[in-house]
Amino acid sequence: MTATPKASEHGTAFEPLSATFAQNPYPAYAALRDKGEPQFFADFDMWLVTRFDDVAGIARDNAMVRSPEFFMSEEEITEQKRLQNWLDMPHHQRFVQFSMLDSDGPVHDRLRKQVFREFTPAFIARQRTMIQSFVDRLVDSLIDKGEIDFVEELASQVPGHIIGRVLGVPDEDCPQLRVWSERVVQFFDIDRSDERKALAEQATTEFYHYLLKLMAERRAAPQEDLITRLMAAQDAGQLNEDELVSTCMLILMAGHGSTIDVLGSGMHAMLRFPDQMARLKADPGLIHTAIQEMFRFESPLPFFHRYATADCVVGGKSFPRGTKFGLLYGAANRDPAAFGDDADVFDAGRNPNRHLAFGGGAHFCLGNHLARLDMEVIFTTLLKRLSSVSLVDAEPQYKRGLSVRGPKALRLAFTPA
Amino acid sequence: MYRVTFIDADGQATELTAQQGQSVMSVAVANGIDQILAECGGSCACGTCHCYIDDSWTERLPAPDDSEQGMIECLMNPTERSRLTCQLKMSEALDGLVVHLPREQY
Repeated sequence: MTATPKASEHGTAFEPLSATFAQNPYPAYAALRDKGEPQFFADFDMWLVTRFDDVAGIARDNAMVRSPEFFMSEEEITEQKRLQNWLDMPHHQRFVQFSMLDSDGPVHDRLRKQVFREFTPAFIARQRTMIQSFVDRLVDSLIDKGEIDFVEELASQVPGHIIGRVLGVPDEDCPQLRVWSERVVQFFDIDRSDERKALAEQATTEFYHYLLKLMAERRAAPQEDLITRLMAAQDAGQLNEDELVSTCMLILMAGHGSTIDVLGSGMHAMLRFPDQMARLKADPGLIHTAIQEMFRFESPLPFFHRYATADCVVGGKSFPRGTKFGLLYGAANRDPAAFGDDADVFDAGRNPNRHLAFGGGAHFCLGNHLARLDMEVIFTTLLKRLSSVSLVDAEPQYKRGLSVRGPKALRLAFTPA
Repeated sequence: MYRVTFIDADGQATELTAQQGQSVMSVAVANGIDQILAECGGSCACGTCHCYIDDSWTERLPAPDDSEQGMIECLMNPTERSRLTCQLKMSEALDGLVVHLPREQY
């Protein structure tokens, strides 16, 4: 790979761990997009891609893969992991660093096939009554408080419980799963300190032992849930036990964080654009386009990587096989070339809205329909049951880092309808 | 150039032209047929490019492969005429194809 100065040396302020970036990453994304071709980012040893057409092209290209094993020897992969502080964490390497998300081709297809039915529209639609009753009870318990942290008290309480029920995790265990999920996921960002590493490995180990116990219970008494079905698939030779554990962890982790983040940022977006909240309240039929827009406007997982398995041209520039690209979905989803001059405006009725928040290609977000249904039920219920909502803190703090996007807390004052 | 016609849930027909090998999905997306969402971009991974093949064409199409069939069974309101437009590639044999669009993809 050609040695190229990092983006900041071209004059582009790209400091994704900074507080400024956390509060508003979009000027930095716009500056990168304006460069035209991908920009090298030394901290991650990768080329950042920000224009919609380039990001979509890579995400949907089967020659762009997640795992480096297609072109790197085992020694090279180990060395790369050492440099990134990914090594010497046995359970994390076994169950998190290997997963459906980080596999490609036939292995990925085989693993995805084991779980995809539970996440398709027809199956997800069957969860609506369960989600509605869960959300109704939660809102009942909060409605008289007058002021809540929307992220902690509402958003964080829903997706983990719903994905837990799909998988087969008892309600009372969901808070612990959220803690493990957050500790594991935080280690994915560029701030891979030894302290975070120890937390991620410990969380993975505890998570693993929890799943072993749950599987033993299901072995003794099978249920109508995904974990029981995955164990049957294991018995039929469709996947091995490590793959089963890894898939369960991936589903639980993916089902927690990102939906919580986009619930928070989606609510914040409606409060920043009160005309759009009023429009949705007056016309609840806009809920589907409004939710699509929440994902576009503040994409909760704004960054994923791909490796090129062949020489390629991206944004008019040639790259050799083995190049690592960082796809910045959050930047692509604000590209005026794809979404017009109002790309930075939240429009609850935007249609079509072909955003990339769920990625693209073979790795397209498995849980997208479940996330959207969680959000539809929550926002529809709140718009019905609240007569007014306002922000307590004018500028909520957002999480730092490149891999996630969402408010740490969102204090709301409200009046019941 | 081949022809493909999309008929929406209200009966409005739109005839478009397609290149050899172009997917019916990409013809729709490139020409503002908004009912074809095609969120994954054509990898048979999202099930949002669902259509119903016109009766006059059902016998003339190659059968769906296992991954397309598996996805079709999990869509909203699937029928025997259901197909994913990302998996239908235009050719001389499909010239004049007529597909019907669902009102919503999910």
